[in-house]
Amino acid sequence: MNLKDYIESGIIESYVMGLATGSERAEFERLCAQYPELVAARRKFEESIEASAKEQALPTPPEVKVKIFEAIGKSAPSSLSSTSSNPPKIHTMENSKSPAPARGLGMLRFVAAAAVILLIGMVWLYFQAKQQNQDLTKENDGLKTQRDTAQNILNRIVQEQKQTIGDPNTTVVNMVGTKSAPKSSANVYWDSASSSVYLVVKNMPQLPNDQQYQLWALIDGKPNDLGVFDATNEKLILKMKNTKKAQAFAITIEKRGGAPSPTLEKMQSMGKATQTQ
Amino acid sequence: MLALKERNNQAFGFLYDNYAGALYSIIKQIITDNNELASDVLQEVFINIWRKIETYDQTKGRLFTWMLNIARNASIDMLRSKGYQNSQKNQELPDNVYKGGVSQTTQQNVDNIGLKKVLEKLKPEHRVLVELAYFKGFTHEEIADMMSIPLGTVKTRIRNALLQLREYLK
Repeated sequence: MNLKDYIESGIIESYVMGLATGSERAEFERLCAQYPELVAARRKFEESIEASAKEQALPTPPEVKVKIFEAIGKSAPSSLSSTSSNPPKIHTMENSKSPAPARGLGMLRFVAAAAVILLIGMVWLYFQAKQQNQDLTKENDGLKTQRDTAQNILNRIVQEQKQTIGDPNTTVVNMVGTKSAPKSSANVYWDSASSSVYLVVKNMPQLPNDQQYQLWALIDGKPNDLGVFDATNEKLILKMKNTKKAQAFAITIEKRGGAPSPTLEKMQSMGKATQTQ
Repeated sequence: MLALKERNNQAFGFLYDNYAGALYSIIKQIITDNNELASDVLQEVFINIWRKIETYDQTKGRLFTWMLNIARNASIDMLRSKGYQNSQKNQELPDNVYKGGVSQTTQQNVDNIGLKKVLEKLKPEHRVLVELAYFKGFTHEEIADMMSIPLGTVKTRIRNALLQLREYLK
């Protein structure tokens, strides 16, 4: 077959946009494994679709992100508990209800028979338990690998992402509590290439309704507002305002909506940004 | 374990911040007139991305392509759901789309965003087919039936339209 004609047939576009039929997909995937040029052409179209979609991105409703994180926060740890939905089998051994045995030889026979039955029963139970144990171990291993793969894929995606925006290093700033709030802690992820600032709240006490936390970037000794946030029980990642420079980050308590300059005695936690080259 | 989860969350937050807007745009090009349902779909899409991330296969395409198809499928499912149909009762029946031509329907307000904007440049007989296949989720057979044109013609026209689309996207 002529690869060039195939590439120009529109199959790539149909495949990428999800319009190819099952057999067309199967054929395309098979040929992709064979011809790197085909993969390259597919990739090129995918990239142009992605670029166009990103260019056309619409602002999303802000509550959606919170709802998503609530949903996945609750569902994430449940993967292990759902291991086996079928409860363990309980094998009851029927008590032999035969009438009281006759004495002598009859009694002996009865005991011997009972012992044999008991033995068989126990052996059977033993193998059952062993089998079940093996099944569970296997299932458990399967789940572990699944979890690890998910983790790896996610990491790879972040890697891929970081390459796209050309950002080699994100600075992680560990915010530690001050004397007035020793337990407060949060992490700031500061991407110095794109100036993006993300905040992960680890432990910030709940505030009265009329107050909010405010994040500051200290630039040459001057505080710059990076936005306000509420303390929530859920671990959330918050996208804060961008900053190109920062020697340190600080969190203060301010009235709801934030203040133009920080109330320093209400400083909750602070962390130095190690300068990246 | 906690750190692991946190890192996962961070990765996922990153993913959301980078892609949600682009996916929301495609969702709204399919669910054109109900913002609330569109944002429900966006939420569902990201929860599905999180749950199905192990099934993403790098050899079959880029991550965005995978997510885009999840978003498109979820939107089309929504479009066909009972709840959506009911909310549309007072509006034009979707069947009018095929006869009256795409531009005369309620989608005018989103005709100028995203892929639809690119579609504008196609010949009308090509555009309608891509519209039906991509944004309404009809199979080639269904389209052939609806428009009373041979299946082969539907296929060729869609392929040609997509090739033109590729040129416009460059």
